[in-house]
Amino acid sequence: MTGRARARSRGRGRGQEPAAPGAPVMPTPPEGQLVGRGRQKPAPGQQVVILISISAGFQQVKIGERGGRRRDFHDSGVHTRQLMEHVKESKTGVSGTAIELRANFMRLLSRPLWALYQYHVDYKPPMESRRLRSALLFQHEETLGKAHTFDGAILFLPNKLHNTETVLCSETRNGEKVEITVTLTNELPPSSPVCLQFYNILFRRILRILNMQQIGRHYYNPDDPFNIPQHRLTIWPGFVTTILQYESSIMLCTDVSHKVLRSETVLDFMYSLRQQCGDQRFPEACTKELVGLIILTKYNNKTYRIDDIAWDHTPNNTFKKGDTEISFKNYFKTQYGLDITDGNQVLLVSHVKRLGPSGRPPPGPAMLVPEFCYLTGLTDKMRADFNIMKDLASHTRLSPEQRETRINRLISNINRNADVQNELTTWGLSFENRLLSMNGRVLPSERIIQGGRAYEYNPWTADWTKEMRGLPLISCMSLDNWLMFYTRRNADVAQSLLQTLNKVSGPMGIRMQRAIMIEYEDRQESLLRALQQNVARETQMVVVILPTNRKDKYDCVKKYLCVDCPTPSQCVVSRTISKPQALMTVATKIALQMNCKMGGELWSVEIPLRQLMIVGIDCYHDTAAGKRSIGALVASLNQGMSRWFSKCVLQNRGQEIIDALKGSLQAALKAYLKYNNCLPSRIIVFRDGVGDGMLQSVVDYEVPQIMQSIKTMGQDYEPKLSVVVVKKRISSRFFARIDGKIANPPPGTVIDTEVTRPEWYDFFIVSQAVRFGCVAPTHYNVVFDSSGLKPDHMQRLTYKLCHMYYNWQGIVRVPAPCQYAHKLAFLVGQSIHKEPNMNLDDFLYYL
Amino acid sequence: MCLMRTHSRADLTKTLAMTTPFSPPLYMQRYQFVIDYVKTYRPKKVIDFGCAECCLLKKLKFHRNGIQLLVGVDINSVVLLKRMHTLAPLISDYLQPSDGPLTIELYQGSVTEREPCTRGFDLVTCVELIEHLELVEVASFSEVVFGYMSPGAVIVSTPNAEFNPLLPGLRGFRNYDHKFEWTRAEFQTWAHKVCRDYGYSVHFTGVGEAVGHWREVGFCTQIAVFQRNFHDTMSNAERLEPSVYRLMYRVVYPSLSDNNIYQRTLVNEVLYEAQHLRQEWLSRMNMDSSNNAHFCAPPLMDVFQHGLEGGTRDCQPVYQQGGTICVPLARVWSSPRVRALCGSVQRLREELQVDSRVRMSADGTVLILPAAADDEDDEEVEEEENVKAVSGVANNVEEDWDRELGCYGNV
Repeated sequence: MTGRARARSRGRGRGQEPAAPGAPVMPTPPEGQLVGRGRQKPAPGQQVVILISISAGFQQVKIGERGGRRRDFHDSGVHTRQLMEHVKESKTGVSGTAIELRANFMRLLSRPLWALYQYHVDYKPPMESRRLRSALLFQHEETLGKAHTFDGAILFLPNKLHNTETVLCSETRNGEKVEITVTLTNELPPSSPVCLQFYNILFRRILRILNMQQIGRHYYNPDDPFNIPQHRLTIWPGFVTTILQYESSIMLCTDVSHKVLRSETVLDFMYSLRQQCGDQRFPEACTKELVGLIILTKYNNKTYRIDDIAWDHTPNNTFKKGDTEISFKNYFKTQYGLDITDGNQVLLVSHVKRLGPSGRPPPGPAMLVPEFCYLTGLTDKMRADFNIMKDLASHTRLSPEQRETRINRLISNINRNADVQNELTTWGLSFENRLLSMNGRVLPSERIIQGGRAYEYNPWTADWTKEMRGLPLISCMSLDNWLMFYTRRNADVAQSLLQTLNKVSGPMGIRMQRAIMIEYEDRQESLLRALQQNVARETQMVVVILPTNRKDKYDCVKKYLCVDCPTPSQCVVSRTISKPQALMTVATKIALQMNCKMGGELWSVEIPLRQLMIVGIDCYHDTAAGKRSIGALVASLNQGMSRWFSKCVLQNRGQEIIDALKGSLQAALKAYLKYNNCLPSRIIVFRDGVGDGMLQSVVDYEVPQIMQSIKTMGQDYEPKLSVVVVKKRISSRFFARIDGKIANPPPGTVIDTEVTRPEWYDFFIVSQAVRFGCVAPTHYNVVFDSSGLKPDHMQRLTYKLCHMYYNWQGIVRVPAPCQYAHKLAFLVGQSIHKEPNMNLDDFLYYL
Repeated sequence: MCLMRTHSRADLTKTLAMTTPFSPPLYMQRYQFVIDYVKTYRPKKVIDFGCAECCLLKKLKFHRNGIQLLVGVDINSVVLLKRMHTLAPLISDYLQPSDGPLTIELYQGSVTEREPCTRGFDLVTCVELIEHLELVEVASFSEVVFGYMSPGAVIVSTPNAEFNPLLPGLRGFRNYDHKFEWTRAEFQTWAHKVCRDYGYSVHFTGVGEAVGHWREVGFCTQIAVFQRNFHDTMSNAERLEPSVYRLMYRVVYPSLSDNNIYQRTLVNEVLYEAQHLRQEWLSRMNMDSSNNAHFCAPPLMDVFQHGLEGGTRDCQPVYQQGGTICVPLARVWSSPRVRALCGSVQRLREELQVDSRVRMSADGTVLILPAAADDEDDEEVEEEENVKAVSGVANNVEEDWDRELGCYGNV
């Protein structure tokens, strides 16, 4: 397998990049666009609360915030831990050996008894203008102090005034006397939600003082870019920051982020595209390439998602501005002094979901002029380009040491910059000038059980490719009737693959007959015809050697063999098997994969809980198939977690993903019953694919739905249920010191103190080993748990499950069922676009 | 000073909208007047007194027309602090740096104070400012602006009192902070005196005209444009640090006049062009080779020339030499973007020869790029790493969490 293929198979697909270590962070749309498309919306109650707290006095500080999106990205306000009796006291585990870590967190320090004082300000006679109000009030700076935040009615001060009610007298410039009454209404403790919001706004102000540019939710440094000229890419280094109440203190969490910008306008892009594909195919290609991309306008810093192209509009079209009609051309000339050079360019359409000013409904679709729009981020085509990604990685993939240095540099900038310090001290706040030191635990490494034998793996590489060599697998499916398709050009490699497969399958315990070799012409139709003519009911496996890694033929194979004619299949790109020296390794992997796809089992780990069913859920947001989302559910069928039931559903418009998955869960329970003659007494659901700010809806909506679905199996059936939300895209990072060097924490590191959230039953596990860059920990949040399972067991079980992904002879980032669900949803979303045939449900056919 | 400008402006346009609506709104017309002036006379250094929320500065930043230094002064530092970040460069300013330099500075200070660093400007704008001054202050204003600063030109706008009867519901001045509102005659008397005293000439105009026979009351806002009559001696003076005013904000826009930025932009553009030519050549080669022989690797000749079919302009072909692709500089030079950045091929060559990111032939006529994209995946290196015991190895004791849990539950 190529490195790329491996990366993909481990879940870093083309369309969906779950932030590989150090990978550039794409603009935020995948999350943003979910709102309003009938997916998981944040619970309405939550939003309202936030809006109120904002309008109740944060209008002014809100100025720093852009756009109308006021989603609670940090899921604060979801209090799940208090409902779980067994973790109220403690949610920490005990297993493993302690390890000293540093985390990318900094404590926010405030002087003792610090509070934010909220005052109501009243004018007599009443004053209309907000500016006048503020000017009159701040004639009394000596009384009120330098630090203040005032929105015209509510005043926030870091210091308490002498009296609860202070009467001040001001004079307007024409001698009118105004009496101002300042009344204390609230004393906000440092951890109050308003204060937290305030810190975040203050910190953004600080980043701006440090000359950082805000793009989306993050800040980037424009003065130190690096370029990939071949594609006109410009990459800005920057930071993701959040200030929140963590387990024991308020801290700033900051991680390095990179922004990919392009010094190429959409018009430039259109020109070169037209040149490449000709006038005929241009509209189609253009739509395909552009729709979904995020652009940045030249005349302000706003970003838009391209939703459509208005082929009948040019800059000469007019729009209504106030009461007058004005053409786009004239508008840009008079407003921004920008000349449109190409009067025939078509316009772009973006359906703005942002609210209008002061909460008014969205102003309708925005028409954008391609010439004034810069492309941002990477296209799928670029992401598939190995060279671009390599160039990018060389700059964005930071070693633990580099990453720590970058974060430390930000800390020292904050502490050195006089203006920043000034801003902070007037508010009586400061940041601790070093990263948080804390303790984690390294869980004992697991024993891998395979064919009656057990072995250990190197805990640092977390990989047992070598250890499993020569050992028989748990169960093998013999290959008696199978086909291999190849093109004439690849006849030789097909033969050598066949021979090598034969050679490697013996020691594993796989009996293999000679495959029926079928040559096909290098065209999609002839490949399909070859499949239709040769794949029969008793065919056990179809191997297709593809001449290139072009997606269409792969899609065609998968579509036919997953939907129309359910048969396990294995595609191999000829280049992967063209190198003789690597063929043994590749063939081994292919043999293992084929065995899994037919229902064989590879290895297992000790699972000390009986009658347990583990469920993994993930979703894929499809851009091609009319924006339907895809949900996948994978459930274990046996004690060893080596057999899985998989189901994939396409979400209908206006439907929550879980509604569609309810039936799948029932089907999984029925399958479990069939295999075990009993229903599971414990069900643990690992729910992946929950975006920022969607936790509330998982708790309020999905958990009850899951319970309901279980209930349908019988009124007296009451298994113990746990629901764990799995998150890969997080900004927490941990550094260990190993042999005097800053390094990644070893696989199995669990962090369940300090940087967790007090209101949650949550923990982090570093389960993978990465050879380059920084390892990304995975965050687990147990949002519902009636199992009574000790936190230590929950953590260890989770870690054990990370060992069970059969497409990787090592530990993966998430529990295997999540990785399987991801793989399945990805296959369906990228290639099949239909629900796979149910005959395949009991197999890992999508590996 | 002109603290209440927005306020008055908003009120004014609101009331006018009912009877004599100005479209676009009057304040916009005032800004447009300044923008048009800048477009015609192309001043390099512009200072706006009473800039308040920096609206005019923000407009001028877009309608730059060669402005290199843009300064705003206001007596109220709170407004400046609040709004100053709106003058920061946009992301696009970094992505495509402009040709000319631009610096924006904001100061807290008063027009009645002499500040050395305000001297040597080409244009001073005082939009709806003087009516907020006491009449005595107007005198020192005139002395400071015309006598001390003596810029190339001054634009002063102020309400025309004769227009006031047309504003419905208006009693007294248009804004309570106005100390006076002049008729045309009063304004002109002041202006002519200024011209006499400090060597300027003036012409009068305005924005916002009434319709019909009301026309004769003149513009709603009267504007005087002053031009200095004598040659300036200070415009090239060194920029000084402010001694009276307080610097609130300063930002230097990225521009091609910054050598680092210029170099970076040029090299990016050249490499983009060169890489494309290389790519084009490679794909043509691939096509040829796959047409000729299916199973052969592309022909490896020491020098394989390809081209000539592209017409006369392609007379300098891209070619392969060993493991490199050579792209003639002339081909890159034909890109309009590169041309726009670099005046001549000689300059281009000189710029590229000093840059470490570009490999060139010794004579500087050819750019050298690698032939094969090294897209070979890193070979699986089977490295024997020292096994470091980081944790206790798995305990071999059989565990049973169910049983444990049972006990735990009973306790």
